[in-house]
Amino acid sequence: MNSPLATQTLFHIGPVPITEQVALTWVLMVVLSACCWAVTRRMSLTPSRLQAFLELVVETVDGQIRETMQAEPAPYRAFIGTLFVFILFANWTSLVPGAEPPTAHVETDAALALLVFLAVIHFSVRANGVSGYLRSFASPSLLMVPLNFVESITRIFSLLVRLFGNVMSGVFVVGIVLSLAGFLVPIPLMALDLLTGGVQAYIFAVLATVFIAGTVSEGRPAASDNAASSNETERGPQ
Amino acid sequence: MTIDWWTLAIQAINVLILIWLLARFLWRPLEASIEARRKAAEATLKEAEAMRAEAAAGLAEIDATRARFAEERAAGLAEAKMAAEALRTDILSKAAEEAEAQKALARTALAREAEETRAAWAKAAAQLAVDIARKLLAHLDERALREAFLGSLTRELAQLPEAARRSLGANGAALTAVSATPLDSTEKERCRALLGEAIGHPPHLAFATDPGLIAGLELKGPHVIVANSWRADLETIRAEIGHDRSR
Repeated sequence: MNSPLATQTLFHIGPVPITEQVALTWVLMVVLSACCWAVTRRMSLTPSRLQAFLELVVETVDGQIRETMQAEPAPYRAFIGTLFVFILFANWTSLVPGAEPPTAHVETDAALALLVFLAVIHFSVRANGVSGYLRSFASPSLLMVPLNFVESITRIFSLLVRLFGNVMSGVFVVGIVLSLAGFLVPIPLMALDLLTGGVQAYIFAVLATVFIAGTVSEGRPAASDNAASSNETERGPQ
Repeated sequence: MTIDWWTLAIQAINVLILIWLLARFLWRPLEASIEARRKAAEATLKEAEAMRAEAAAGLAEIDATRARFAEERAAGLAEAKMAAEALRTDILSKAAEEAEAQKALARTALAREAEETRAAWAKAAAQLAVDIARKLLAHLDERALREAFLGSLTRELAQLPEAARRSLGANGAALTAVSATPLDSTEKERCRALLGEAIGHPPHLAFATDPGLIAGLELKGPHVIVANSWRADLETIRAEIGHDRSR
């Protein structure tokens, strides 16, 4: 059994090594995209069971975003929802014989955490501008700037480590048990992996939503600032 | 543990591409479907609301029509009642008129019947009187009876006015003495003598017989008839009875 910490290169495209997790991710992308295309190409007002289930998923994601961010979910739905769907199915690839979840490797989790870090910046700048994003570090006071800056890095690392640790440990435990015990013994642990994979996907998506919501809300001008600026506008130049 | 940066970068790009793919093939179509259903539901609700308003308007119109029908029915009933009342009055008046006419007819018929009955009874009474008179006459002495009627005739002549009595048989006018039974010669002479004495001059007297007199002696002249018989008495009695009944 290979160490889950090691990456196995399948082939190279020029100088770029294509690892097993990248290939599996490509397979996942193709399968998810094809299934979604197949399901959503014929939508109707009277939905089939599958369409109704997918619409329920969308409504659930929207509800979660709306409750967490207190905002309309449309700008965030694709990012948060895709994170959840990808991590969920990536975690569940552990059920495929011979396949190792991409999320069991630190590069995939780091890439996901990096995307969350960039998404926080993107959505905050888009909502409040660059100054608003920078102002979010000074919330609630200027003394908190170093701590907030460190927190913005560490929380991303916490995301990375949480997902990687849970999924990698699950795969590791199943591998150890499989190597020590019989063929059917790891099945309860694999079932537990399913649960863990779902929970971790949900936690990752919810935390990403919380980080984006926190930065977006903290970057907004305070109520007193708003009042001052509106008074200036009403008075006009004299 | 080492990190393969190439893999990290490729995975980041892969996730970005997957975000784009799912946004294109999953999230947007589902959002559009949900939105389309929401709009369809809103349109259906609006349509239902419009239909409900239309139904309410229809109900109001039906209520108004019912009220109008009720008013028309009440007016029709009142008109029919008035027409029935007029017809009833007309029928009653016609019936009253007809009843009055029937009553008049009945009265007339009753009067005619009463008159006929009275006439029949009068005729029967007259016949009865004649029969009684005939039976009485059968028990009486005819000569004495004729003598009595001669006496009564002279009394009747005496009660006439002087001028009328003198004009009887004047200028040779013929007088006729009518009796129920023939007079013998003695009676004729006596009659002639008594009449001459009554009228003041000898009369030119002829004698005739009429059994219809029942009994009696009447004197007939060109202008005067002196009725002195039971038939005349019975006629007088009948006329007086009829006069009393009509009175």
